[in-house]
Amino acid sequence: MANEEERCYVYLNGRIIGYVDKPEEYVKEIREARRKGQLSGEINIAHIKSLNSVNINTDKGRIRKPYIIVDNKKSRLTADLVEKLKRKEIDYNYLLRNGIIEYLDAEEEENALVAFEPEDITDNTTHMEVDVAAIFGFTINTSPFPEHNNIARHAMLANFTKQAEGLYSSNFNLRFDSRGYLLFYPQKPIATTVAYDRINITHHPSGQNLVVALSTYYGYNMADAIVVNKAAVQRGMGRSVFYKTYVDEERRYPGGQKDKFKIPPATAEGYMGEHVYSKLGDDGTIEPEMHAEEGDALIGKVAPPRFLEENIGAGGLEEKMRDDSSVLKTGESGDIDSVVFTESTGATKIVKVRVRSLRVPEKGDKFASRHGQKGVIAMVVPEEDMPFTSEGIVPDLLLNPHSIPTRLTFGHLLEELAGKAGAVVGKTIDGTAFAEKGSTRMEEYARMLETHGFDRNGEETLYDGITGMPFKAKIFTGVVYYNRLYHMVSNKIQVRSRGKVQILTHQPTEGKARQGALRFGEMERDALIGYGASLLLKERLLDQSDKSSVLICKECGDIGYYDRIKRTAVCPVCGNNSFAEVEISYAFKILLDEIKSLHIMPRIKLNV
Amino acid sequence: MAKTQTKENNYAVEYSEPVGIIAAQSVGEPGTQMILRSFHFAGIESAIATSGLPRIVELVDAKKKPTTPLSTIYLEGPASKDIELAEKVAKKINEVRMGTLIRRVVENFSKGTIRILLSKQELESEGLTPGQVADKLGKLLKVDTSVEKHAITVKMHTKNLKEIRQTMVKITKSVINGIEGAGKAVVQTNPKTGEIYIVSAGSNIEGIITVDGVDKSRVYTNDVFAVYRQFGVEAARNALARELKATLDEQKISVDIRHLLLIADAMTSTGTIKGVGRHGLSGEKSSVFARAAYEETVKHLINAASFGETDHMRGVTENILVGKQIPIGTGSVKLAIKKEDMSKIKPK
Repeated sequence: MANEEERCYVYLNGRIIGYVDKPEEYVKEIREARRKGQLSGEINIAHIKSLNSVNINTDKGRIRKPYIIVDNKKSRLTADLVEKLKRKEIDYNYLLRNGIIEYLDAEEEENALVAFEPEDITDNTTHMEVDVAAIFGFTINTSPFPEHNNIARHAMLANFTKQAEGLYSSNFNLRFDSRGYLLFYPQKPIATTVAYDRINITHHPSGQNLVVALSTYYGYNMADAIVVNKAAVQRGMGRSVFYKTYVDEERRYPGGQKDKFKIPPATAEGYMGEHVYSKLGDDGTIEPEMHAEEGDALIGKVAPPRFLEENIGAGGLEEKMRDDSSVLKTGESGDIDSVVFTESTGATKIVKVRVRSLRVPEKGDKFASRHGQKGVIAMVVPEEDMPFTSEGIVPDLLLNPHSIPTRLTFGHLLEELAGKAGAVVGKTIDGTAFAEKGSTRMEEYARMLETHGFDRNGEETLYDGITGMPFKAKIFTGVVYYNRLYHMVSNKIQVRSRGKVQILTHQPTEGKARQGALRFGEMERDALIGYGASLLLKERLLDQSDKSSVLICKECGDIGYYDRIKRTAVCPVCGNNSFAEVEISYAFKILLDEIKSLHIMPRIKLNV
Repeated sequence: MAKTQTKENNYAVEYSEPVGIIAAQSVGEPGTQMILRSFHFAGIESAIATSGLPRIVELVDAKKKPTTPLSTIYLEGPASKDIELAEKVAKKINEVRMGTLIRRVVENFSKGTIRILLSKQELESEGLTPGQVADKLGKLLKVDTSVEKHAITVKMHTKNLKEIRQTMVKITKSVINGIEGAGKAVVQTNPKTGEIYIVSAGSNIEGIITVDGVDKSRVYTNDVFAVYRQFGVEAARNALARELKATLDEQKISVDIRHLLLIADAMTSTGTIKGVGRHGLSGEKSSVFARAAYEETVKHLINAASFGETDHMRGVTENILVGKQIPIGTGSVKLAIKKEDMSKIKPK
């Protein structure tokens, strides 16, 4: 028996259950039993040599990955078995049950030496990957040619994929999502992967295969801008619809009062004028298929007054009403897609109004390929002004070639070639990671293109649409799968010159929802100081912001006020009435008030 | 000559140019690129100094002691050519603390002795004998010592527990060899000129200067306060600007030296080194509002009230606050004569 220090303790789910003298043999024995099916396949055992312990894990929450078992330098998944699998005589579960494939958790992986392919197997190899692509996760494996891209671009791709418009749900017509984006003609990608097909995204894809030329266009696609073909846009490229749902509820209030859906009477508090409610029907809601512009009421609702008044119970209660209608927000417009009346669990009436608006790609809309290459439309060019190939093909999109080299997205180029080859042959192309070597793939696509009379490198002679002259260089043109992302200018655009101000500070409001202004911040302030532009600075910070005029007592230096009844200016401190009218920022007035609240009397001495 | 003068005039700063803001922006903008980017040269452990943004912050905040003090010591006469002589000088500078030599300390409270077991390896690497150590200890702490092999026994005059423990702590902290605060000294050679110099991981230049063989006129340290103590404000100002420049240069960020000189000037203008923050330049502005706008608003307002301070509205911040034109750039121009007074002036 080993002495106390040399004992190898066995931990079951982190708890010591005993010790063993020969851990290697012990672990081997348990593994064999698991592979034979005598123990559950969910048990994982690891011998941690550095800690001289054996860890057995059977609990939930471990991430596990399948591997093919390798014995005596040979994969247990023999050619015979592969053949049987192909003939569907056996299935994946057969492999699991018969100890050909097993799942390892993170700890047991520490004991494994995994080969990528049969050729890599050495004397110490214990397992083999089910597929080389399995070294990547699912997210990466849904993108084509991932092994040719920089890993940072994959992180971006994962983000863009989330933002892509597509067919997000086939019952979209019955749903009232608060925001829904739907692509008109989604296509499945030409360059696809095994994992992509497996998860059935092909049934509800989120992009389109576009003809892309890697070309500049009079400088209009600099710095991640893209130029798109107007004819392609008119044919439906990237066209989508945007649904937005407005919800309102007839709430009940303590005291038995209730909201009511109806066209608010002109006597209601906060009545916005007849034109606002002109589209509402008798039930107080807008009718389907009506067009609504910003400021139009969608749901008319009256609510009881905000503050209870003393004469409650008197006959005048019904007449005191407050307008609480839902109005289409600024900058929005669309057609009413659907109106639904329903009830909440608290038996109150709910109205849902879905507004639909068409989103044709325009300047400022965002697109991205599946290689972390995003771009914003900078110009929609009429087809006749676009470059065209000798065959008369006009690209849908012009991508600036400078986007490629610094970002190391060679996969983008490979997909462009593969997409073109696939389009020419009429087949989808498998772009699964490591399915073939990059050079082999290129050669294959080149052959496909060549047999159909195209340049083997995917290059085309392009002619300038404006002059009709051929470009000196041949231009790489192919087919790339592009996603339209849901960031659209029409949802973001906002302008203001004058407008609302905050009550407290008299400074302009912030944010699009409040028609706010753009903040002229501290660093901007510093820039103007640094430039010495004192009047411009004053204009930004005072005249265009919270300028206010105050009366300052010439005697005591306090701020006075104008008494409109007596028609005189009064100083609240000394009662004097000799004043100077001074322009200061309202923020400074508040500061003085706050200093006074500290029991400090600030006095302003005027140099007059 | 005239040409040179016009050139010079063209480059001169104009009246009411906000040089401070421009300096801040000129250092601040490249500073944003500096974050999380640092290069290090493989070399001796002690020579790795703080660099990049942390170093800039350290300088600008006028920290009393740099995180990694370093001194560059050039040598006089033959030592600057002879590596062996240089090593001898380095030995004299190299700070050796008792703590590094000790393997184990045993206090005997009943006998009133402290037995110190020395590390043979450490002794050898520092070139010391147990006897030398014991002598030095005896002189430093005024105690009786005896040596046997690699053990030193310190005989105390009392058996007071507290005193014995205090002496033990003193022993471990005492400097046995070299200059206190000079740190580890390493001999290095300039690959270009072949000149031999010493780099030490400390900043006690006062002590270093006293060592024979050191070129007193060329001792340099990155500790701005040490420079200030030894050579005065003007030197400290130069050291500050030089350190700022060196830190930026190391990151390949080019900032005009005049911006850095301005910062150094502002920090040293009072005769001592002041940081730019709350306890330095910003906290000592003359305007109440400017101070209140920066940090500790209420504190400044209440102090101003209790002393009856007046804000003369001469700075930038306070004028922006009330909404007046700032007295900088175009705002610094004032009417010399009011319109009404124009009629009073008689044309000559």
